[in-house]
Amino acid sequence: MHELHHPPTPVYWGMTAQELTQDVVQRHASPGRQFWAIAGVLAGLFALGVIGFILLLTQHGVDNRREWGYFATAFAYIFVTAQSAVLVSVALRMAKAHWRRPLARISEMFAAVGLFNFLLLIPLLWVLPPTDGRRSIWFDWPGRSPHLWDTIAMGTLVVLGLAILYFASIPDRAAVRDQAGSEPSTKWRGNVQQWIVLNRGLAVLGGFYFMLLIVVHMLISVDFAMSLIPGWKDSIFPAFHALNGLQSGVALILVTMFILRQTTGLRKYLEVDQFWGLSKLLLAISLLWFYFWWSGFFVYWYGRTPAEQGVLRYIMFETYWVPFFLAFVMCFALPFFILMWNIVRKTTWGPALAGAIVLVGTFFNVLRYYVPAFAVEELSLHSLEHIPTANLPSFIDILVVIGALSGAVLTYMLAARVFPIMSMWELREGQILQRVRKLMKIEVKVLAKPE
Amino acid sequence: MANKNVLGLFDNADTAADATDGLMEVGVNQEDFDVLTGSPYPEGAFGEKTPVHHIYVFPLIGALMGLSVAFLLTSGTQIAYPIVTGGKPILSFPAMTIISYEGTLLGAVIFTILGIIFESRLPRARLDPYDPRITEGYIGLLVTCPEERLDAVDQALRRGKAVDVIHEGGRSFRA
Amino acid sequence: MQERVKLTDAQINKDLLRSMEENPLWYWLLVGALGLAVLVAFAAVAYMFNRGLGVTGLNRPVMWGFFITNFVFWIGISHAGVMLSAILRLVQAEWRRPATRAAEVLTVFSLMTAMTMPLIHAGRPWRVMYWVFPLDWARGVYPNVRSALVWDPSAVFTYLTSSILFVFIALIPDIAVARDRTTGWKHVLYSVLALGWRGSVRQWKLQLIAGILLSAVILPIFVSVHSIVSWDFAAAVSVEGWHSTVFAPYFVIGAVHSGVSAVVTVMIILRSMFKWQDYIRLEHLDALAKLLIVVATTWFFFFVLEFLFGLYSLEGPEIRLREMQVFEMPWAAFFVAFLVCSYFIPVPMWLFRSVRRSIPLMIFTTVLVNVGMWLERFIIIVPGLARKQGLTFTWGGYTPSAVEIIIVFATFCMVSMLVLLFAKVFPLIPIGDAKEGVVLEDEIKIGKVKVPAIMRED
Repeated sequence: MHELHHPPTPVYWGMTAQELTQDVVQRHASPGRQFWAIAGVLAGLFALGVIGFILLLTQHGVDNRREWGYFATAFAYIFVTAQSAVLVSVALRMAKAHWRRPLARISEMFAAVGLFNFLLLIPLLWVLPPTDGRRSIWFDWPGRSPHLWDTIAMGTLVVLGLAILYFASIPDRAAVRDQAGSEPSTKWRGNVQQWIVLNRGLAVLGGFYFMLLIVVHMLISVDFAMSLIPGWKDSIFPAFHALNGLQSGVALILVTMFILRQTTGLRKYLEVDQFWGLSKLLLAISLLWFYFWWSGFFVYWYGRTPAEQGVLRYIMFETYWVPFFLAFVMCFALPFFILMWNIVRKTTWGPALAGAIVLVGTFFNVLRYYVPAFAVEELSLHSLEHIPTANLPSFIDILVVIGALSGAVLTYMLAARVFPIMSMWELREGQILQRVRKLMKIEVKVLAKPE
Repeated sequence: MANKNVLGLFDNADTAADATDGLMEVGVNQEDFDVLTGSPYPEGAFGEKTPVHHIYVFPLIGALMGLSVAFLLTSGTQIAYPIVTGGKPILSFPAMTIISYEGTLLGAVIFTILGIIFESRLPRARLDPYDPRITEGYIGLLVTCPEERLDAVDQALRRGKAVDVIHEGGRSFRA
Repeated sequence: MQERVKLTDAQINKDLLRSMEENPLWYWLLVGALGLAVLVAFAAVAYMFNRGLGVTGLNRPVMWGFFITNFVFWIGISHAGVMLSAILRLVQAEWRRPATRAAEVLTVFSLMTAMTMPLIHAGRPWRVMYWVFPLDWARGVYPNVRSALVWDPSAVFTYLTSSILFVFIALIPDIAVARDRTTGWKHVLYSVLALGWRGSVRQWKLQLIAGILLSAVILPIFVSVHSIVSWDFAAAVSVEGWHSTVFAPYFVIGAVHSGVSAVVTVMIILRSMFKWQDYIRLEHLDALAKLLIVVATTWFFFFVLEFLFGLYSLEGPEIRLREMQVFEMPWAAFFVAFLVCSYFIPVPMWLFRSVRRSIPLMIFTTVLVNVGMWLERFIIIVPGLARKQGLTFTWGGYTPSAVEIIIVFATFCMVSMLVLLFAKVFPLIPIGDAKEGVVLEDEIKIGKVKVPAIMRED
């Protein structure tokens, strides 16, 4: 170790801990007129979606499964993107990555969207047929098992996500109240004991969220997609579904960060560091997307049994080849070619662009599973004997999808009124644990790695 | 007038970094000195010039060549000896992809290695001037200067608390 | 908590070159004993080539037995190298430093060993050339690229070439250290191998880029190798239990699990052999064990997917196979042993910090993992073949013969021997990396404590 010419200096983000807290709290207190204008538009779109949903229910009823394909797509898409986005903060906190600090709350806030998505699950429970007499992961269990267990699993996931959001934001909500001068309503004082409990608690909750999320991915993907297409026995599919979730979760945070940077005063917290860190993750996952897809496709292509060929023709190469092609290009090819250049990764627009592309691609990827799965009528067979025709979106479907997505974004915006969008305590911790100092003729960053 | 090399040895990285200031005073430019160390230091820590390189071109060229060779090999051999197996087409792209993929990456690796050796300016026949103490933790400032300024540089290195100054051809290190 | 020790460059050189400079008797006795076992196996192979594959336990319908199991196992171990050195380099994990070289060297030697297995298994290895390379110009007969068996050689060859080159490039600065500290013919040898390395700014910069760039290029190879090995099985429809889409990532993550465990075992043994306590510290084992928890759990998830979707088909032969694996002796015993050894004992143990920092317990758990992972390959390969046919009277079984057992045992001796011999010629802990770690070490004073910290360039 060198004798230090210059001791490390503790300033980060160019402000002291007090200035930082004040800055974030002030921004939290007054969101601005633009915020409410956007929220109003989203509320209008959501109302249209509700009308679409009522039309869907009255015109087709819950027994006409084929008509619910796009509704299921909207549900699955919000699950895949938003509910997986919480994982980003969980995983980066476990890895003790210092650069995660400014984006931790942005990621956790998506837990609130999970609550909204739980509402979308409810009507689907009536649409989903029982598992009697067909292949499913429930084997000989009663026919309504997926309805029960998927609801329980999804509900637990939502509660866990909200718990993470709630606990992680205790110190910050206390700060907001302190600054507003109102009476402290929680017992939070920030003593040593409380910090230890907070950190350990977040680690444990994060670990459970991680594992449960994978399980829910498996349940949703198999019960609502794979088991509805006869002959589709694909052991990698749940893992692929979860991977696509992690990918689009990262993409969603990139896009959210970019929008926040452009529209709010949070520019100084959301620096290139955050985009760069996430972009490397997105690049790696996009490559894995290809790998997982290829592993499934390749074994099916080699098998060449009628069941396998039916599935390949249905969801990849014939009936739904357009969404498959778009998903392939937008989840793998484009992000790979954009993010393979470090110069692009070290910007804010490059990763955000790739993220936006991945988000659209993920929509098509989800669509090509759930729309075809809901369109198959005969479920007891072991292979697709007639391949159904493509189910193109109707006007109602478009209303429903737009309404659901608007509702999800609106939920996120309203959650941001309750929980500060910047994790102030983690930023302040970052100021203590990251410093800048001189090493001979240059300045270097010094990162503490406490255990 | 020919340029000569002279090597100043320092027992401490901070002293070596400070000594570069003294070198600047006697007219040594950033381009004219190099730092020999036993371990990598953060870039620019001695105030040295950052070397320019084109290493990233090598894997791309290698990958392209590997892909072409592997693709020609897999398609060529199948066309030359066409036997249908497993009901699959003679030119089965999924199967050819596997070997083409390996070929691409093999090409990329080999070219990267060649690129690294070339961009490091290795192999190098003469080490002179060099001192084995560099791998023991000493820092060497290697200055290239015209012969008439050798004395000034030597003085500057010694003023900068160099433990030893070695001139090209002065002490031979067998390499 | 980290137990950093302040070390000078000279001290690092002395410590890390110790394996090359000292010649204790136990070292040569150990190498001699391992070499003897390898010689016995050579004799067994020669005997088998002379008499034919009849001297093995292979018979219809089980034509893949111990050799192929062992091939998959060693390919798996070889995944440790790139997993550790490449991924940890890319994420700039400080604790990778002492582990990378040992992991890469283990990769090279286990890959070489793995390659011998299918060659021996072929019975007539000299013919293999014509099966995998387009060499038969005279008759115009070329290998069939649609056959999975042609992919393996291309993948293993690519991986082996890349790992050897990777090890060599990373060795150059360390060879220069050896050059500066040797005389006579050794000095000449190291001088040639060091390529005239002086440690200039350019050379170090390229050395660092090489680590990152080669990692990035080798990672896709690493993933492909075990995937391709898995497709040897998964591309076949006719054997129950093999034709599963999850096989590729399942094999890869399983390989990482067994490979990283093997690296931990090797590191602990080296640590006590060459007194490297200051370099391979308890905090490194701790970090590796935490990594193993994540890897093992991911692997277990893929195992669940593989098994669950085997049953999902609800088709008779598949169910029959699973019944055999789980309920019929001796497979039931292997199955339980495999799960307990590779997951249910080690992972709960690693959850405790005291286990992660205990040398004997870490040796125990990591060896256990590899016992379990060997069995895993065995119960994937053999039962499927034993129940391959539709008619029960063509079902079969498999008992390995002495020849197979001797050869498989000797592969473990061979890898150990090669690693030990490598340690005699080159440093097994990267010297330049260790020194860089010392340069970048720092600490931040917060109130009354000093927190270990690390410098990062941007």
